[in-house]
Order: sequence, then structure tokens, then C-alpha cells
Amino acid sequence: MNEGAQYTPGPASGAQIRKDGEKWTLILVRELRHAPEKVWQALTDPAHLREWAPFDADGNLGTIGTTVKLTTVGAPALHVTETTVTRADAPEVLEYKWGGFDMRWELEDLGGGTRLTLWTNIGHRFISMGAAGWHICFDVLDHLLSGTPIGRMVGPDAMKFGGWQRLNAEYAKQFGIEAPNWPPPAAQKS
Amino acid sequence: MKIKVMSLHVDDQSKALRFYTEVLGFAKKTDFSQGPYRWLTVASPEEPDGTELQLALNDNPAAKAYQQALFQQGQPAAMFFTDDVKGDYERIKSRGAEFTKPPTDVTGSTIAMLKDTCGNLIQLTQLAKY
Repeated sequence: MNEGAQYTPGPASGAQIRKDGEKWTLILVRELRHAPEKVWQALTDPAHLREWAPFDADGNLGTIGTTVKLTTVGAPALHVTETTVTRADAPEVLEYKWGGFDMRWELEDLGGGTRLTLWTNIGHRFISMGAAGWHICFDVLDHLLSGTPIGRMVGPDAMKFGGWQRLNAEYAKQFGIEAPNWPPPAAQKS
Repeated sequence: MKIKVMSLHVDDQSKALRFYTEVLGFAKKTDFSQGPYRWLTVASPEEPDGTELQLALNDNPAAKAYQQALFQQGQPAAMFFTDDVKGDYERIKSRGAEFTKPPTDVTGSTIAMLKDTCGNLIQLTQLAKY
């Protein structure tokens, strides 16, 4: 992460939440200066996902009905879940599950660029953390697609990063929730 | 090296948190998530810095089969020690928990067994004093 050291994320933006009882959905929108076909490849090809996504995939996510194992990167215990791709309309809509989260990606052609939208349900106590994490992932993705990769920043790498902590607080404020207590009190003590 | 955390598979972490705190009387210790992974532990209020019990979501088919088999055989997935198994039995039962074994004397201890509502049997053990 050489260039990553100089990377500073922009302000929290492009995120909404939709509340349905205990189940909250995080909706993130990002405009990328790359064609949908290129973005689609980054969303589905395991070699590309490894460069920016918070999970590793053991197969391509681009075909409906395919079963793929997803490994959450940096989880405090090995966390592997199996998913079946339920929708893969290249290069427009992609749906699968990541653990208990529904993942829906929509790619809208902006004439050379792409408006990328992610819908994902997430525990409401952690929704600002998720927004902050995906914000950074999208920045890393943008750099990757532009040919100036700054290296994947997920899990503990992201959480240690001041930019993540600021985004977490900003998104919590935007969503009108309390920012999760992070780092945990036990870690703060020592 | 210290034994600091013991893991228990549960079929629903939110339900488990309610049961282990409101019914059994433990206290939430650590709760954070990374992506769909949630690290959740409880500890005994009698020993807040003692061994933690991790309530891990059982989304692993192999672990599910193991958990179900243990449950069907009547094997406890975890064992907690108490100085008053009869008192705990009454207290926990009054909060709605289902016991499969009331306090029973066995060699060296008195034990009771209850369902944790999340796929496990839990044994309470009070060591006999000689």
C-alpha cells in the first residue's frame, strides 16, 4: 500500500438507508468513469475482486446458478459462506448473497461511464461501518479501474485507517444513528 | 497463553444474545461486525474479565450437523459452573427457559440441563463439597 498511504477518502456521500423493521438496507451509489462492461468484470471476476472487495471468491460470480464460496477478508475467525448467483444480467444487474446479506448490484450506462448502485441489508447497529467500508472499497475500485491501484483496504486495514473512522462517524450522523463503539472498549483499555 | 474465549454455535445471534443475557443473566462483552461476520461474546457478571463465551452464527453445514447430533443425543454444547444450581434452576425457569433435566445429583456434582433456544443444550454444574 505505497500510494494508499497518501489516499484520503472524500466526505461521506451517495448513501441512503431504507428501514423495514429490524432489517435495514444500505443503498450506495457511485459514478465511475468506466464502461459498465469493465465494472461488471471487476464485480464478478475473482482476480479483480481480490484487488478491491471485502471478500474473496473462489469462482466467477457472473453466471446465474453458479455456486461460489465467499471468504470474508480479515474476519476474526475464518468466515466462508457459499452463495448461488440468483441474477446475472451482464452488464446491468447482479444478485447473490454474502453470508446473511442480500447483494444487489445495478450498473447504469452513463455513456462511457457507469452509475453503480449497491443494495445490501446489514444489521442497523453496524450500518455506518458498512457504508464507510464500501465507500473506501469503491475508491479502491475506481483507482484499480483507472490503472492506478492503491491496494485493497478492508477489515482491519480499513478500520485502523483514520479515513474509515471519519467516514463511519459521518455516515452515522447522516443516518441519524449512534456510531458503533469502535475500537471496542477492551482494545481501548490496553 | 490463557483460555479466554470459548465458542458456541447458535442459529440466531440476536435471539442468542437475548437468551444468554436476559434469561441466563450473562452480560454482553464484545459485539462488532465485519461484513456479514458478527463477533459477539458474553461474560459472567461475577467474572467480567473472565472467560468469554462467543455466540457464533452457525452458517456452516458441517457444524450444523454436529450441533444437531449433539442436541439429539442429549449432550451439552457448553457447561457453566455455579455455586447454587437449585437457585439458578428456579431463577432461569421462572424466566421461561425449558429444562430437560432438573437439578440431579451425580458423582461429584449436581447438574441440570436446559435448552438455549438456539440449537444447544446447556449444562449447569455445581461441584459437590466433601
